[in-house]
Amino acid sequence: MAFHVEYLKLNLSKKSIVPMHSSIKKLLIVDDSKVSRMLIRTHILARRPEWMIFETACGEDAIKFVDNELPDYCTMDINMPGISGTDAAERILSKYPSIKIVVFSANIQEVHQNRARSLGSILVAKPVTEKSIALALNYFTDSE
Amino acid sequence: MSDLSELHIDALTEIFSIGAGRAALSLSEIVGDEVHISVPSVLVINSEEIDSTTLALNGGRFGAVTQHFCGPFNAEAVLLFTEDQALKIVGDMMGSQMSIEEIAEFEHEAMCELGNIILNACLSAMADILHFTLESSLPNYRIASADEVLCRLKENADQPYVMILHIDLSIENRHTAGSLVFLLSSSSLANLVVHIDQFLGSIS
Repeated sequence: MAFHVEYLKLNLSKKSIVPMHSSIKKLLIVDDSKVSRMLIRTHILARRPEWMIFETACGEDAIKFVDNELPDYCTMDINMPGISGTDAAERILSKYPSIKIVVFSANIQEVHQNRARSLGSILVAKPVTEKSIALALNYFTDSE
Repeated sequence: MSDLSELHIDALTEIFSIGAGRAALSLSEIVGDEVHISVPSVLVINSEEIDSTTLALNGGRFGAVTQHFCGPFNAEAVLLFTEDQALKIVGDMMGSQMSIEEIAEFEHEAMCELGNIILNACLSAMADILHFTLESSLPNYRIASADEVLCRLKENADQPYVMILHIDLSIENRHTAGSLVFLLSSSSLANLVVHIDQFLGSIS
């Protein structure tokens, strides 16, 4: 799958600089479904219009993106082409433990919930709705 | 009328993936182990174009669970696994301590239950996300050859379109592949597209 990163709100070609403690946060959406990315982006921007939203369609691209842009938050699908979302999350968090990742998936079996928890993340059940987005936002901003 | 856009197919794939996730959760509670179900592809074609390749049928005999759905669109749904795979799934569902003879005895009931879980999970995900209600009939299970399955799918003049979902199912690390086929009339497919467009319009 082609490397797909969509830059919204700002046309960025280099690492974007956001002042520390700024309300402008960077969120990376990782999902192979364009529709799912659209849904998450729309719901997030409705509540946090100042945030910068980025997208990738697979775990490998997400890892590359994080190396370049270091987002504050990330939503991660599990079932995607290439490595699984939970494997991608593990690799990202081992390198950048400050990033908060919400695993967004329809696959809500206990084994996946436990895996997300063991990574220091949470699993939020799809479909993407106002309610599921509220859970993700609470997790992102709770301890800040 | 089968000119669905890439975004329509993306939306359907995501909806059915959510349905597959729900079905996996239900099945994992039955078998007491992790179950993986994914929908790697969704295809909408004219039923005349359907063949053993599009259905990934490689000869032999198949277990087919059929259920009818009605609502804003009507569909006949057929879940297909090879008979061998169907028996293995039933074995996993019933517990490994059962003999082949005992498993065969429960095949009809267990496959109807499997079909009921997968079909209703997929359709309920669609109904929830696209905001409509679908009613379903009781599932029916029968064994048929690949030719009988293809003939049955092609012969229905009232439902000239088919939506094919390829399904990967893994229970206890045993991998199985099947297909879920929806037979649709022209008006049902048109109504489905209208609902997908409304859904996409609400998020774009």
